[in-house]
Amino acid sequence: MMQRLWLALVALAAAAVSVLALALRRVLMRVEVAGESMTPALLPGDYLILRRGSPPAGMEYGQIVALHGPRPEGDGRLLLKRVVGLPGEALRVGGALQVNGRVLIEPYAHGDTPAEQHRGINRLAPDAYFVLGDHRGASTDSRDFGPVPREAVVGYAILRYWPVARAGWLRPPDRRLLGVGPEGPQPLYWQTPAPDAGNP
Amino acid sequence: MIRNAIERLIRPSQTGYAHCDLPCGVYDPAQARIEAESVKAVQERYQKADSMKSAAETVEDYRARCLAIKEERANMVKEHLWVLWTDYFKPPHVEKYPQLHQLFWDTTKEAGLAKKSQDPAQGEKLLGLIKQIDTIFWETKKA
Repeated sequence: MMQRLWLALVALAAAAVSVLALALRRVLMRVEVAGESMTPALLPGDYLILRRGSPPAGMEYGQIVALHGPRPEGDGRLLLKRVVGLPGEALRVGGALQVNGRVLIEPYAHGDTPAEQHRGINRLAPDAYFVLGDHRGASTDSRDFGPVPREAVVGYAILRYWPVARAGWLRPPDRRLLGVGPEGPQPLYWQTPAPDAGNP
Repeated sequence: MIRNAIERLIRPSQTGYAHCDLPCGVYDPAQARIEAESVKAVQERYQKADSMKSAAETVEDYRARCLAIKEERANMVKEHLWVLWTDYFKPPHVEKYPQLHQLFWDTTKEAGLAKKSQDPAQGEKLLGLIKQIDTIFWETKKA
C-alpha cells in the first residue's frame, strides 16, 4: 500500500516538474554563447537564461538581446548584441556613439568603431533598436545590418548560470550621456582650468 | 556518467552568436561585381558618346571622362578581388576548388584589360569571370 502511495507521489511530482518545465519554456529560453563580440560581458561558452520577447518599455537600454540575424547569409542565426539606441532616437555612429547629440558613456564597450564606419545621423524608426557588440572592433551589428525591428528580438538576457564562478544576474547598465546629470541635460562648457588634470 | 548527464541537462540546446565577421572582413563578391557593372556601363556609354554627352561638352571631353571613371572603377574591381583572394579564401578552399588561383589571376588580369578596352563585350567577359568566383564563394559559405 505504502509502495503504491510512493509511486503515485513520484509520478505526481514528475508530472508537476514537467508541467512547470513546459510553462517555463514558454517564458524563458536557454542559450549558449559563441563568439567574442560581447566580451567581456559574455564569454564564449557562457550559458544564459533569457526572458522571451523584447525588453519591457523603459528598460530597453543596455539589455543584451537575442535576435534573428537580418542578413541573408546569417541563416537566421540567433545573435547576441546590446541595445544602445532606442526607437525614435537620433544616433551618430563612428568613433564615440552620440544619442540625440550627446555622447553616450559606455563603460561596457571597448575597441573603436572605425571612422570609416561612420553612418551619419540616423533617426531610428518608432519600432527599431540599434544594437552593438561590446567589442566594437570585432562585432557585426547594426553598423553593418542597420537598425533591427522590435519583432526581430526574441529574448533578453537575465541570468548567466554557467560557469558557476561567473554566474549571476545580467542587469542592464544605467544610461549615462555626457553632460546629462540626474537632473537633466546640462550645458556643455569648457572648464578653465581643467579640473584635476593630473599636473603638479 | 553522472557528470555527463548533468552537463547534458544544463547545456542549452540553442546557440547565441556574439558574432563578428569584421576581423576577417565583410566579404562579398557583389562589391567587385558592382564595380565591374560600372566598367561595362562606361564602355557602353563610351560607344554611344554622341548621344550620351551633354550639350555643354564635346564627344572628346565626354569620352575622356568615361576613361577616367573606367580606370578608377576597374582598379576597384581588382582591389575587391584581391581582398577576396588573399583574405577570404583559405587553403582548404583551394584544395576543394583547385581552379581558384587561376580564376583570380584571369579575373584580375581581365580587370586590368578593362582599363584599356572600350568594348562592352570585354566588360561582359569580366562579369562572367566574377560570376564564377561568386558561385564558388557562396558554395564555401554553405559549407
